[in-house]
Amino acid sequence: MSVLSISNLHVDVAGKQVLKGFDLTMSSGEVHVIMGPNGSGKSTLAHALAGHPGYQVREGSVRIDGVELLDLSPTERARHGLFLALQHPMEVPGVRPLDMLAAAGASREDLMGRMREEARRVELRPEVLERFLNVDLSGGERKRAEMVQLSILRPKFAMLDEIDSGLDVDALGAVARRLREATEEWECGVLAITHFRRLLHELTPTMIHVVSAGRVVATGGPELAERLERDGYEPFRVESR
Amino acid sequence: MTTFTDSAQLHLDALASADARRGAWDAFATLGLPTTADEVWRYAPLGEFDLESFTLVSSRATPTLSPLAQALGERAGLVVRLVDGYLSSVEGDLAGVGVDSVESGWSGNYDSDAFSLLNCALAPATVVVRVAENVSVAAPIVIVHTVTSGAVFPQVRISLGRSSRASVVDYVDGGRDALVVPLSEYELAENSSLELSTYQRLDTSAWHFARSTAYLGRDARLRQSVISIGGHYNRSRNDAEFLAPGGENELRTTFLGSQDQVHDFRTRQFHHAGRTRSTLLSKGAVADHSRSVYTGLIEIDKGAKRTDARQTNHNLLLSPHAHADSVPNLEIRENDVMCAHASSVGPLDELQRWYLESRGVARDDAERLMIQGFFYEMLATLPGDLADVVERDLGEVLGQVRIVTP
Repeated sequence: MSVLSISNLHVDVAGKQVLKGFDLTMSSGEVHVIMGPNGSGKSTLAHALAGHPGYQVREGSVRIDGVELLDLSPTERARHGLFLALQHPMEVPGVRPLDMLAAAGASREDLMGRMREEARRVELRPEVLERFLNVDLSGGERKRAEMVQLSILRPKFAMLDEIDSGLDVDALGAVARRLREATEEWECGVLAITHFRRLLHELTPTMIHVVSAGRVVATGGPELAERLERDGYEPFRVESR
Repeated sequence: MTTFTDSAQLHLDALASADARRGAWDAFATLGLPTTADEVWRYAPLGEFDLESFTLVSSRATPTLSPLAQALGERAGLVVRLVDGYLSSVEGDLAGVGVDSVESGWSGNYDSDAFSLLNCALAPATVVVRVAENVSVAAPIVIVHTVTSGAVFPQVRISLGRSSRASVVDYVDGGRDALVVPLSEYELAENSSLELSTYQRLDTSAWHFARSTAYLGRDARLRQSVISIGGHYNRSRNDAEFLAPGGENELRTTFLGSQDQVHDFRTRQFHHAGRTRSTLLSKGAVADHSRSVYTGLIEIDKGAKRTDARQTNHNLLLSPHAHADSVPNLEIRENDVMCAHASSVGPLDELQRWYLESRGVARDDAERLMIQGFFYEMLATLPGDLADVVERDLGEVLGQVRIVTP
């Protein structure tokens, strides 16, 4: 059983304060969903946690089981169990998924076989595994391919940035199903960032957090999503501090 | 001490076709060595170059094959071996393929290129690999050059008959403190198809001045890769000329520069005829204090309608002291054509590296993967087995390169 705790996180992007005291705590096997309007800081959270060079952490703490991630390199954060699935998974020409996963510490034993099995589970054409990372893949294929990475690397916590953007219903279903199974198979904690409720039909959240102006302004169960659906984000809006 | 000129005169006296060769020699003597004042040589460290310090090899050496040459040969259907430009052996047998060593002539070509003129005067012979009409060669042909020392002038011609197909790998190594001046011509008859890869692994003390010209007949297809690792100064000029409509040429040139190497690549895509297509991709990486220049010319004759010619050049800087230049040129005398060129110079992409790191890949490993990846697509013309050998070797070379992120 692991715990991810984010407390009082302040992050700047290009000199502008985006996250202003973000707090969230979650445990293994749970599904937490972060919802909020554009510009509220959802994606900033994901990128800052994964150590993206364009995001400056000003203050705060992010720990997995007490280990401070913010003191670690992006590589070490990943090796402590944090995985980020990007909204637009990056093309890395010339680098094959298998070589990347082996370099990331995955066991080489029957690695391609295991990758093929994971590809099958998310209905990804196996040929895609032979191609360079994300090169010439459709939006849906990229996200399915990241699910293959996730399943091989088996992180303690997976963050999914705008997981449903650009996905058709089938792809979204495949991705959400795989995540749900991950929460059972190795008690993966899932932190999903989304605009839409559609994802929640496939993946039942433990908690929903509404973000506005760089921090969590409301937390609740699945019923919160219904309220958002009905009333929009306006009732949750807070003035920037 | 024997000078280059003395050894060249002795060599010329001993050759059968001395008259034609003396024509090339005289043309060279009139032209003289280039200087960096000459635009096409402005990036070459010619100030350090002392032609007279090299002498022509007078005795036939029998060096052992390097492990890499051996590995390539084992995966070939036919191995043509040259030592210091002399045909030394032909091993294997492929139906429809002939290999001869013929007396070199000089037809007045290359009259403004000093090093090619020297080759025409001094090449021991022309090694000709000929593929008969309508033959689809079953296995790769590997040409292995071993260079021992001194001044070496290999001359090779690959000639494909109508509607034939072949895959050839041209490999060179050795050459400590040597001057290596290869001259190659590729003749592709109507509807023939050649996949050709040159892998240059000379010692980093060698001076290498290579030139190749492909002549494409109607509907002929040439896919060519030139991969250069070695040489103190490595000059590689690769031309393709479309003599008739319908031909296709895909050329990839690539290099890895380290220490104080200079890689000087030149290409010329010359469209005399219409409905022809050429695609040029030049990619290189420079580390340490190395430098590179890529100069590409697309030339399209009047009347060569519906020509499609493209040029792309990407350079990777692996050290703040390394430098890469890119010089595209277009000479287009016809309106009904499609032409494009693009180039870039820069360090490894920081965000791609971060993406790999965020999966748990260590920074050093991420950089290695990306640099290897930068080169992988350049190996596309190598047949499967041989590609594995070259890929492994390239991986080892890349593993030794120092990467300094700015």
